[in-house]
Amino acid sequence: MEILGIFSDMESAGRGVERLVRAGFTEAQITSLTSVAYPDGVLVRTEQRSWFRWLALAGGIVGAGAGFCLAAGTAWLYPVQTGDKPIIALYPTGIISFELAMLFAIIGAIVGMFLEMRLPPLGKRLYDPAISEGCIGISVSIHTGGGVMACRPGEGPGECIGSIASISAGEQQSLAEGIMREAGALRVIAE
Amino acid sequence: MPESHASYSSHKSHETHGTAETKTVGQLNDELLSSLRAPTRRWYLLAFFLGAVVAWGLFAFSWQVTHGMYVTGKNRPVMWGFYITGFVFWVGISHSGTMVSSILRLSRANWRRPILRAAEAMTVFSITVAGLFPLIHLGRNWTFFYMIPYPNQRGLWPNFRSALLWDVTAITAYIIGSSLFLYLGMLPDLAVARDLSVGWRRKLYAVLAMGWRGTAREWVVYHQASTLMAALIIPVAVSVHSIVAWDFAVTVVPGWHSTIFPPYFVIGAILSGVAAVITLMIIIRRAFRLEAYLTPLHFDNMGKLLLVISLLWSYAYFVEVQTTWYAHEPIEWEVFSFMAGRYTPQLLIMLVGNSLLPITAMCFKGLRRSIWVMLVVSLMVNVAMFIERFLIIVPSLSHKNMPFVWGSYSPSWVEISVNLAALAGFALLYTLFAKLFPIMALTDVRELEVREAHIPLGRTRLPSIAGKE
Repeated sequence: MEILGIFSDMESAGRGVERLVRAGFTEAQITSLTSVAYPDGVLVRTEQRSWFRWLALAGGIVGAGAGFCLAAGTAWLYPVQTGDKPIIALYPTGIISFELAMLFAIIGAIVGMFLEMRLPPLGKRLYDPAISEGCIGISVSIHTGGGVMACRPGEGPGECIGSIASISAGEQQSLAEGIMREAGALRVIAE
Repeated sequence: MPESHASYSSHKSHETHGTAETKTVGQLNDELLSSLRAPTRRWYLLAFFLGAVVAWGLFAFSWQVTHGMYVTGKNRPVMWGFYITGFVFWVGISHSGTMVSSILRLSRANWRRPILRAAEAMTVFSITVAGLFPLIHLGRNWTFFYMIPYPNQRGLWPNFRSALLWDVTAITAYIIGSSLFLYLGMLPDLAVARDLSVGWRRKLYAVLAMGWRGTAREWVVYHQASTLMAALIIPVAVSVHSIVAWDFAVTVVPGWHSTIFPPYFVIGAILSGVAAVITLMIIIRRAFRLEAYLTPLHFDNMGKLLLVISLLWSYAYFVEVQTTWYAHEPIEWEVFSFMAGRYTPQLLIMLVGNSLLPITAMCFKGLRRSIWVMLVVSLMVNVAMFIERFLIIVPSLSHKNMPFVWGSYSPSWVEISVNLAALAGFALLYTLFAKLFPIMALTDVRELEVREAHIPLGRTRLPSIAGKE
């Protein structure tokens, strides 16, 4: 479940985030929706580590293998004798392997990026087109009361769940809505 | 929209980069997406004109297909003519768009932002045009699929030891890579365009935006992906033009068989690409009234880049000629003498356009900031660069090792028409792209506005988010 507050400016959005955190919501539950990027910490704090680059690396390795098979493997399968030149030549094989390695790495990076962003979404998610006009959205993920939130490495359950876990989802939602309205939200949209 | 622009108070106070005026987010969106407005009569006329030139080129090509390759000027010993000149020229143009964008992204040069999209789109369309030339040049074009590696009953398999197959592979990789790079850069802009448009455009942008919402996590991953893509695409760009150079350098044709060819080609490609980016910046600035975003500062910086690359090109050309001259190897010198004698005007235009003019003009700040001077210089560089490609290809093939088969070459109307159609086709693709997609990197520019917005502190005003990316 998600709740989205739309703010007209950065100051009120920042105020809303501060109050949500003070009320017990965790940074992991809160995110901002903006049409331009803000440095981390201006509105919310995010996990900076990502894994999609490993997919780019895997793509590169697969591409290099595919290139090798294409240039060297098929030269071996379909030999063309040209003068005294070797059937499997190192130089062309290197070039083809390099090109395919880079191509697959690029494709891997793009695919990995979308997977990590979870785009395109499987279901409908809260959004407001006013965000493109400069408004700032603050989204709070409501988890079922008493459930366990995913903790960051090094964080204990107490730190990452906070007191908010003890109340029901409905109460969390109305609490977040109240805080955001009080902080100056133009409107609050709930799922 | 229930709220007016006036309600977005924090954004109202942002001072536009390079100007003193204050603009709201709505105004910024309107101006930066102005290219998406309904086409005017002049736009239709331009598209019709370009389409007509492309149609003429298609007619010329069909003439060649139906009559055979004799309708071109190609004949022994010059079997590469205007088509391969066009191919090398357009590959060169394509080189710089992505390269400039990537380098400026990696170096976090803030002035890059209004230039990115024009440069990246240029790469995609020019490499697409370039990729058509080898197919046109083939003869029996309908058998082009013989180059595609798949098991077949003909018992044919592409010979990957041929440099021409390296070209096919590299250009395919570059077309896909640069298209993805362009798309990646557009992703947040497509979301803004989705939110601000209606009808079929909204549906199109919604599909392409992939459900982008601009969450903090999306932005973090997006920036990391942009940096990674920029780092990955640079070696591909360098390899593409190096491979095109190897088409020549790995042969034993006098004038081509030279170790300096790959770096020389790469430098030449960057020179023509930077000049083409400048030309496009001027056209876009004028066509979409973007004077407040593409300021003299941007032309000043691009002019400095042009100066450096022109100096490098001049040095590489000097080294190439000086080595030939000093060694005085007979056949190498014969090729150069033939070129200097038969193509004197072209050689002079090449030296003036690629070296003398940009080096002298770009030394002066006033000239770098003059839009008209930049237009003339950038156009001259590319005219000279086309001639340079021609002078690399034709004289060497005209006077190879065996004097009894020396010959010459003049392009036929078919080849000239196809080359003109390629230019028109590139312009048409670019014109259509500009009408369909944001031609200015909207969110990048707006991000700079946010970063450079000043907030009052006591009696002074300080940057709100100084520099940090």
